Amino acid sequence: MITEEEIAVASCIQEDISLERRPFAAIGVRIGMEEGDVIDTINGLRERGIIRKFGAIVRHRKAGYSENAMILWAVPEEDLEKAGRSLASYREISHCYGRTPPFEGKYTLFSMLHLAKGEAEELVRKISETIAINDYLILRSEEEYKKTSMGYF
Amino acid sequence: MDETDRKILNMLQRDFPIEAEPFRRIGEKVGLSEAEVLKRVEKLKDEGIIRRIGAVFVTKKLGYASTLCAAEVPEETIGNFIDVVNSYKGVTHNYRRNHRYNIWFTLIASSDDEIGKILGEIEDKTGISGILDMRATKQFKIDATFDM
Repeated sequence: MITEEEIAVASCIQEDISLERRPFAAIGVRIGMEEGDVIDTINGLRERGIIRKFGAIVRHRKAGYSENAMILWAVPEEDLEKAGRSLASYREISHCYGRTPPFEGKYTLFSMLHLAKGEAEELVRKISETIAINDYLILRSEEEYKKTSMGYF
Repeated sequence: MDETDRKILNMLQRDFPIEAEPFRRIGEKVGLSEAEVLKRVEKLKDEGIIRRIGAVFVTKKLGYASTLCAAEVPEETIGNFIDVVNSYKGVTHNYRRNHRYNIWFTLIASSDDEIGKILGEIEDKTGISGILDMRATKQFKIDATFDM
């Protein structure tokens, strides 16, 4: 599924690339690979959908997105697909999943909302009208205890 | 952060050039020298706006399982609970939220069984039982990029 060479590259880029003129050459030096092969390997992993994204991960709070909340929606199973797709179309929603078992027996659809300014309540009310679901929970992040990236390799 | 920083940040998030000299390429697009781009990116990192630059992997494609957990933890034991939960490297996000279920964390592990095993361990070590394990059945969106 994933070759030893790919694992070597992946173990470097799951962390942080170094800020220098030729970061992929630097990775090559670390693992004994040509710069061009490092680049080809990364592109290969992207094309196969193993890497979702390559680039900067920002701390949204520090980048000016001060309103962050998890919104849970009580959506009946048969309407999940439609509501999920509708939620996904909002720029302010970064993540949207159907989950099981439902929270408190009825909240099946989970979404993360990020706003630069303004009130989450107002947008959530509008979304609620659009998807015709008026039973929802707004769970604000009151404190961050951990936020990191997984070390797979 | 000025307008140029915002442009660079958008490019770094969405269009990071996978090529020999990525920062020179970004410089060409925003009209700055490679050295100036590197200096700005370093500053954005020092300020904590950029957490890291690298790859985001698709958990499932690597054969891993993941879940969202919620726990009801009494105020006086939160500190200990957080310490135990955060000691697992598969716990990547952990937040306090405004609900009776006050602690919400994500857990990635090598298999479905491993997730169950870790949650069992957490319950044993903390005395907090009934941790919810809510698996994703449908993924409608995952796009953690932020317009600057």
